[in-house]
Amino acid sequence: MTDFDHAAIDEILASRVRLAIVAFLAGANTADFVAVRDATKTTDGNASIHLRKLEDAGYVEMQKRFVARRPQTLYSLTGRGRRALLDYVAHLEALLPPAGGGEPSQPEEGP
Amino acid sequence: MIEDQAREDIALIRRVIEDGAAYATAGSPDMLVWGIAVAIGYLGTYACIRGWSPVTPGPLWAACLGLPWLFSLRRVATGLAGRKVRARGPMAQALAMLWFGCGIFLTILVIAAMATGEARNGWCNAVVAGVIGIGFFTSASLTRLLWLRWVAIAWWLGEVALFALRHRAEALPLAAALMLLLLAGPGYALMSRRSRRAEG
Repeated sequence: MTDFDHAAIDEILASRVRLAIVAFLAGANTADFVAVRDATKTTDGNASIHLRKLEDAGYVEMQKRFVARRPQTLYSLTGRGRRALLDYVAHLEALLPPAGGGEPSQPEEGP
Repeated sequence: MIEDQAREDIALIRRVIEDGAAYATAGSPDMLVWGIAVAIGYLGTYACIRGWSPVTPGPLWAACLGLPWLFSLRRVATGLAGRKVRARGPMAQALAMLWFGCGIFLTILVIAAMATGEARNGWCNAVVAGVIGIGFFTSASLTRLLWLRWVAIAWWLGEVALFALRHRAEALPLAAALMLLLLAGPGYALMSRRSRRAEG
């Protein structure tokens, strides 16, 4: 048994679709809705629901504009979302045993 | 079990971040701008050789290399002006530095060839084509846009043709056509990818 702390896991990023959206936006900086949907291999409705949850959590911000008279919805990762992703990755890495073997390291306390 | 899940999640995050970086980088207008500018340089030089244009190659190439460089260095200018520059992901940074390095190498080569009179021998046009081919071949792998490999192969075929024609003025319009078809063209295609996605 590892000392797995469920409370330390970000519930927003516990969903794989939301995690993928945040990771995609971390690489892309800004992306339109279709690119996010395609990258996460999900449906329009599912992508909308998860993006809304990420917006509500302050991880993602939305901007609407027109390109060639067609509406385009752009999403970008906020500073809060980027920090949440980094924290999440740090937490995951802490669950893994060190490269030389042995017990998983304990996640560090946040500030 | 938790360790396996953690490994899977970390692998997913890395892969999707790379996908995002590839998406972001593959829409830059720089290729379009450089392709058109260098094609104008080649066509202007050909027109000068044929006596159709009074503009000499020196000032022409100063403009055709200088202006796209100003465009490509806009991020640096934005940073120097104290305005916020959007951070790049590692993949986007790798691609930007690949093409930045190619641009520096080719600019030095062209200036040196013109300064020493070697440009008249025509071989540097073939080198330019070969280096751009390397840029596309590497970009195809980094962005996972495999059709860019065909662009690289076309550049290398162009390199052979330019080398074969190195002592003839007809190499110049051929080089211009390559710039328009194989640099500006892919640049436009990559830019319009985003618009097509937006139209969905």
